[in-house]
Amino acid sequence: MALAALFSGCSRPDHGYFGTIKPVHGPNEIWINNSTEPEWIDPSTCSDSAGGEIIWNIFAGLVQAHPATLEPCPDIATHWDISEDGRTYTFHLRPSEWSDGTPLTAHDFVYSFRRLVDPKTASKYASNGHVLQGGVAISAGKAAPETLGVRAIDDLTLEVKLTDPVPYFMSLLTFYSFMPIPQHLMESLAAKGIAPELWVRPEYVVCNGPYRMTEWRFRQHMIFAKNPRYWDAANVRLDRVRLAMVENETTALAMYAAGEFDWPGHNSALPFEFMDYVEEFKDFRRHSELRSYFYWINTKRPPLDNPLLRRALSRAVNRTALMTHITRGEQTPTASLAPNGLAGYRGLDLPLFDPDEARRLLAEAGYASGADVPPITLTYNTSEGHKQVAEAIQQMWKQELGITVELENLEWNVFLQKAAQTDFQICRMGWSADYEDPFNFLEILSGASGNNHSNWKSPEYDRLVLEANRELDPAVRLEKLRQAEAVALAEQPLIPIYIGTSSQLIKPYVRGMWANQLVRHPWKYLWIDEAFDPAKPPTADPPPPNPRASP
Amino acid sequence: MRGYILRRLLELVPTMMVIVVASFALVRLAPGSPFASEKQISPQVRAALEAKYGFDKPLAEQFVRYLGRIMQGDLGPSTKYPQRSVNEIIADGFPVTLTLGAVALVWALLIGITAGIIGAVRQNTVWDHAAMAAALIGISIPSFVLGPVLVLVVSLRWHLLPPAGWGDWRHVILPGLTLGTIYAASIARLTRGGMLEVVRSDFIRTARAKGLPERLVIWRHMLKGGLLPVVSYLGPAIASILTGSIVVEKIFNIPGIGPYFVDAAFNRDYFLVMGIVLIDAALLLVMNLVVDVVYTLLDPRIEYS
Repeated sequence: MALAALFSGCSRPDHGYFGTIKPVHGPNEIWINNSTEPEWIDPSTCSDSAGGEIIWNIFAGLVQAHPATLEPCPDIATHWDISEDGRTYTFHLRPSEWSDGTPLTAHDFVYSFRRLVDPKTASKYASNGHVLQGGVAISAGKAAPETLGVRAIDDLTLEVKLTDPVPYFMSLLTFYSFMPIPQHLMESLAAKGIAPELWVRPEYVVCNGPYRMTEWRFRQHMIFAKNPRYWDAANVRLDRVRLAMVENETTALAMYAAGEFDWPGHNSALPFEFMDYVEEFKDFRRHSELRSYFYWINTKRPPLDNPLLRRALSRAVNRTALMTHITRGEQTPTASLAPNGLAGYRGLDLPLFDPDEARRLLAEAGYASGADVPPITLTYNTSEGHKQVAEAIQQMWKQELGITVELENLEWNVFLQKAAQTDFQICRMGWSADYEDPFNFLEILSGASGNNHSNWKSPEYDRLVLEANRELDPAVRLEKLRQAEAVALAEQPLIPIYIGTSSQLIKPYVRGMWANQLVRHPWKYLWIDEAFDPAKPPTADPPPPNPRASP
Repeated sequence: MRGYILRRLLELVPTMMVIVVASFALVRLAPGSPFASEKQISPQVRAALEAKYGFDKPLAEQFVRYLGRIMQGDLGPSTKYPQRSVNEIIADGFPVTLTLGAVALVWALLIGITAGIIGAVRQNTVWDHAAMAAALIGISIPSFVLGPVLVLVVSLRWHLLPPAGWGDWRHVILPGLTLGTIYAASIARLTRGGMLEVVRSDFIRTARAKGLPERLVIWRHMLKGGLLPVVSYLGPAIASILTGSIVVEKIFNIPGIGPYFVDAAFNRDYFLVMGIVLIDAALLLVMNLVVDVVYTLLDPRIEYS
């Protein structure tokens, strides 16, 4: 707290912005924090957000997400046809080049998609390729990668076959797992005996996106220069991007104040303890993010094998009070899993807090009072935020139901292991969306999902979800998903708590950034407004460009 | 003397061996996995990853392979940073930590010994009390407080130095001061204590009786004897400075090897944990040997055979 006071006393300038408001670098570059050293910047193997941020900006896929609406828009594919049964997509590619001048063809996409699901690649995100015909079998080692439903009809025509006519396929295609990989580079490195994982190092990397990596100082920064061979290079505004890896959030905040960052990046959270303070500044921005925070319940371990008791616990959580007093980030409290309004989805609108119903359910579950319920343990991973939420909910359950809950705090890796083995009674979890569709949230409750940590399975749920994904009528599909969610939440294998928000500081001279639910801000739209004057009211950002209009 | 050093060096081999066995066992007994992730991975992917790093083999075989590797100077691959080997990571980070450590050490010795001498020579005066009070404050303020305060004042208010990062001389000053201060404070107290212990010795009285100027008595005789406790403190201190500071390197985002002590363990980056432990252990053992040798140079009464 003393430090917060010092911070506060140190830099509250008259202009109302946090720290410097003039860039300390030239007009054609931007300095961003990526928070940490990426694990992978290979589209097939990447599963971390630090790597994803880089992939999105150095590779161009078939389609790209619109920077404001997230609508899938043309990128390497100029247009596409979808068969009547919704299972076959034919993409028509524009002539384009890799950064080394080699032509980019449909064969590169075939190679990349096969590589994603090939078990030899050992991709943690291989499951993203499971929508492709044969993807599941190939991933399980039961079929050859060549059997994947992807083929190059000619150099500029790609055909993709899906197992089910899932309507979110185009949104999923904007995800980094589907960016192309330069087959010619991989083969040339293999011929030279260079380890394949080294291909993304600046001395070798070949890419096809708006930027290319020119320097990688391990755990310091990466430098990216505009890629003149990107098909839309004429519309890329900044020449240079410096992407730092500063893990400590307070350090990143100090660097932002000093102008060392124009944007601390969406991978770097603002320090919890300074949130109330930085919220007051004009360069603070907040918008909703498709990130769900919930508690898994192990439905096989007594006393929580009783669905009535699980429902009672959910009803006894005062989510609005939790958002107002504990999380304080304007999160959206929710008692259901898939966010309302996502891709037209109408959520269940379950009551956010209903203590009377909670007590009724407790009695129906066979407990005269909460004191009769055997002790329950709530597990979370080490973090001040998780701890505060857990303590508040512990208090709510005690107050509303009289149930005693013990808290268990575990180190991240041990926590993950316990979660994977469902070795807990209640444990906290988060889930971020990779694409815009309610299925992205509901998939975690499927019986076959490795991410279902509840021990809860329902043939009816699995049938409804499967039927939904085979349904061509969007309204019928969403209704089936809604029914599936109702089936699940009637048994409460998890307790949804809130949908998150993204809170960021962005220098007022940084332009070309629009709020969106997946917090994707492509660098190619960013620019530095040299004419920014704090004395004048900020001018409105021009409407987001529509990549659909690109040639 | 040469025989002594040789014997001590030979003793390092079994000690290091015990460290390798113990740390290998500890790191592999820890629950968790280097491939743990929030989004579950399939058994096929897990098997492929384990095969890639040899974790599918029996533990004993893995240990023998690892021993073979380190004998050839290969510390293995990093599971967290797949594009880099542990050798590369340490080779990148060690010079950075070394630079920071050198600056911190120079600062610590300069300030610490000066304050210690002042305290001893002007014992029980205002000077002594001031120097020792400053030392007490230096020891008491942890680096996670001193570092941010320096950043707030020097970087954000006065705009004199960058708040964090690594690149040129400007980046090393604040972390150097932060890291060095706590050592400076200890050195000041040890120097003062050591000098006060010898100040009434016969050889000091003799030196004064010979008519040597006080400046020479202090520098040539008192300081030499007074520095003995400092030297024994410096052995582990230098090893600790050279292996990096977790806190200081985190606060100032310095790409040294300090944070790996914690991060590599959290990530279950087995080879990186082992690599860091081995480097740290080797440094500590060698520094202790150096200290023992320096003793003989400072105090003629100490002799090894």
